[in-house]
Amino acid sequence: MKVIVNLDLCQGHARCEDICPEVFATDAVEGKCVIGKPEFAPELEEKVRLAVRNCPEGALRILRTRETYS
Amino acid sequence: MSLLFQPSPPDHVPAELIVDFDFFDVPEGLADPAEIWHGLVKRGAPPIFYTPRNGGHWVFLDYADIVHAYRDHSIFSTYQTPIPPIEPFPVVQPQGVDPPAHNVFRRLLAPMFTPIAVRAMTGELERRAAGLIDGFAAGGRCDFIRDYAERFPTNTFLFLFGLPEERLEEFLELANIFFRSTDPAVRAANIEAIYAVLDALFREKLAAPGDDIASAIVTARDDKGHPHDWTDILNCGFLLFVAGLDTVTNTMAYIWRYLAITPAARQYFRDRLDDPDAFLRAIEELMRINAVSNLFRRVTHDCEFRGVAMRANDRVVLPNTVANRDPKVFRDPDSIDLDREVNVHVTFGVGPHRCIGSHLAKREVMVSLQQWLHRIPDFELAPDQPPGSAFGGSVMGFTGLELRWDR
Repeated sequence: MKVIVNLDLCQGHARCEDICPEVFATDAVEGKCVIGKPEFAPELEEKVRLAVRNCPEGALRILRTRETYS
Repeated sequence: MSLLFQPSPPDHVPAELIVDFDFFDVPEGLADPAEIWHGLVKRGAPPIFYTPRNGGHWVFLDYADIVHAYRDHSIFSTYQTPIPPIEPFPVVQPQGVDPPAHNVFRRLLAPMFTPIAVRAMTGELERRAAGLIDGFAAGGRCDFIRDYAERFPTNTFLFLFGLPEERLEEFLELANIFFRSTDPAVRAANIEAIYAVLDALFREKLAAPGDDIASAIVTARDDKGHPHDWTDILNCGFLLFVAGLDTVTNTMAYIWRYLAITPAARQYFRDRLDDPDAFLRAIEELMRINAVSNLFRRVTHDCEFRGVAMRANDRVVLPNTVANRDPKVFRDPDSIDLDREVNVHVTFGVGPHRCIGSHLAKREVMVSLQQWLHRIPDFELAPDQPPGSAFGGSVMGFTGLELRWDR
């Protein structure tokens, strides 16, 4: 599975980075979400899901690997 | 745009949407000023209502409407919003400017306040917090607001702006007059004094730039390679001075007051001094429940919002404390759950004007509490001291918080 971010929605709350720094970081310019490697290990799934649910902008989405963002 | 603004007469407001509510008025004896807001919800006030107090303004009570107002600057502007109206009011950069002009200073400041940039400040924040607490820890008591919660954010501002710590008292006095004085002449002189200090400071930094935010602002270039307008630079400095003081002071006052009367919460944080994830999650919950800011917007044009007619220049108050306890969004919203996992609070706002210093503010609270608990693991309200009185307004808080502990 992988997780993606819609940067038009992201406002830089950085809740995702607080919850799961293994997957999420923030860029040094605007503090918006950066996902270095969208595909994450199964043992991180719970933390990634928690980060997705905590995003106040609803900017994060988990995809099955073949799905693309629409 | 005329600076001579008259509040619209409320003839466009239907009688059923008028509620007599003064958000500055905290009845004597009320321990928590946020209760005046939660009382409105309990009494069944309409989710969008109008009060004739303080020049007249709308109030939004639903999480969804408050978030919408933060995001939609085409209707809800931050330009010249004070309530009650004061005009002209300094157009602070970038808070008082709508996008796209807003983006110029927002982009300039953003890199200095990212989580990464803030994390790099941790050591220095720890040193300054420890220094303040060491000053009174052995005494067994303090007025938390006077001795810590006002001093630490001001001290942090000195650090950000590359100013010597010896100037703390001078900046504390400027800030105290700004936030506490109600005398218009004193306030005007105080704003002039703050601008004079900033002007001198930016001139110094221009001549000899250092590794600090003031230097970064004053040496920055616009997209044509020119320095920014001097007035904008001063207005940006003014915002950075005032925005990070009162808000952090009163957030900490709320949190320490809660800890002083809640032994289990003190224990919770003491047990997690070495678990930054859990520590931060719990602070996030205290930020949700203790949202001190009630923010203002100004309607840009005659329009209808959620079926309610609004007029250009109508003011709107967005109480974050109400949004953060909306039962449609938060499970068991009135209880403090330090393990709360999903916490989409709007304490820092959302949208283009979302608090740029939010990561710094959270870090200031976290560092302060860690340093405090290492030195003062247990504390309570001083029983022989009168409790400070509570105040409302744009930032809610307390005038004093006397704490005691065993030496």
